[in-house]
Amino acid sequence: MADLLKLSVPGKPEYVGMVRMAISCLANSIGFDIEAIEDIKVAVSEACTNALCHSKNRAGGYEVYCEMSDDKLVVSVVDQSGGYDKNSYKEPCLDHPQEGGLGIYIIKALMDEVDIFTELGYGTRIRMVKYTR
Amino acid sequence: MTLHIQKSFDPQKGLWEIVPQGEIDISTAPVLRSCLDEAFNEEKGHIVLDFDQLRYMDSTGLGVIIGAYSRMKEKGYRIVLKNPRKNILKLLQITNLDRILCAEQE
Repeated sequence: MADLLKLSVPGKPEYVGMVRMAISCLANSIGFDIEAIEDIKVAVSEACTNALCHSKNRAGGYEVYCEMSDDKLVVSVVDQSGGYDKNSYKEPCLDHPQEGGLGIYIIKALMDEVDIFTELGYGTRIRMVKYTR
Repeated sequence: MTLHIQKSFDPQKGLWEIVPQGEIDISTAPVLRSCLDEAFNEEKGHIVLDFDQLRYMDSTGLGVIIGAYSRMKEKGYRIVLKNPRKNILKLLQITNLDRILCAEQE
């Protein structure tokens, strides 16, 4: 059975680094190598940044759920920031780089499984899985 | 998380060397944005970003650099990254930004 750690994070940018440190310790304790730990740190940071950027009320905060088992780490970043229209998301054009829009693309590139659930008027959950292999 | 940035201008080469130390994420990316804008407004020149002492960067930092790259390119100047650590180089490669920003290493 997986252990579950839940972090309740204030909706302020300065706390993203603390989440990153916590996730780094967890991933290390499960036995991920350095490259995988870096991948997880970036992906979780991107998801937290996403929660902050979509938040109309930054003071509202968001939750980070970490499920740890022998072969994988599952991290879900959940906000109640009103969600967004999933159809409006476009993959970034890498030949013509823009300032924004790389976060989800990077998460998908670094994690083994990524699911995004969003509902307009409610919020967004980004669920990310990394296997220890 | 902290970010310290050192910058110096070489008038003979017409080149800024900017050295960020620490981590660039959503909380510190505005510091990098201000530094790049202030430098370029102070003296027009190319910018070399030396990442030797930068431990971490995510899409927020990439966005700032892409913005600066676009604004400088319009005016005929370049921004080049050097010495990125393995974790940062991986992000640059994933997003193909290594091709336009890491020209010195090719």
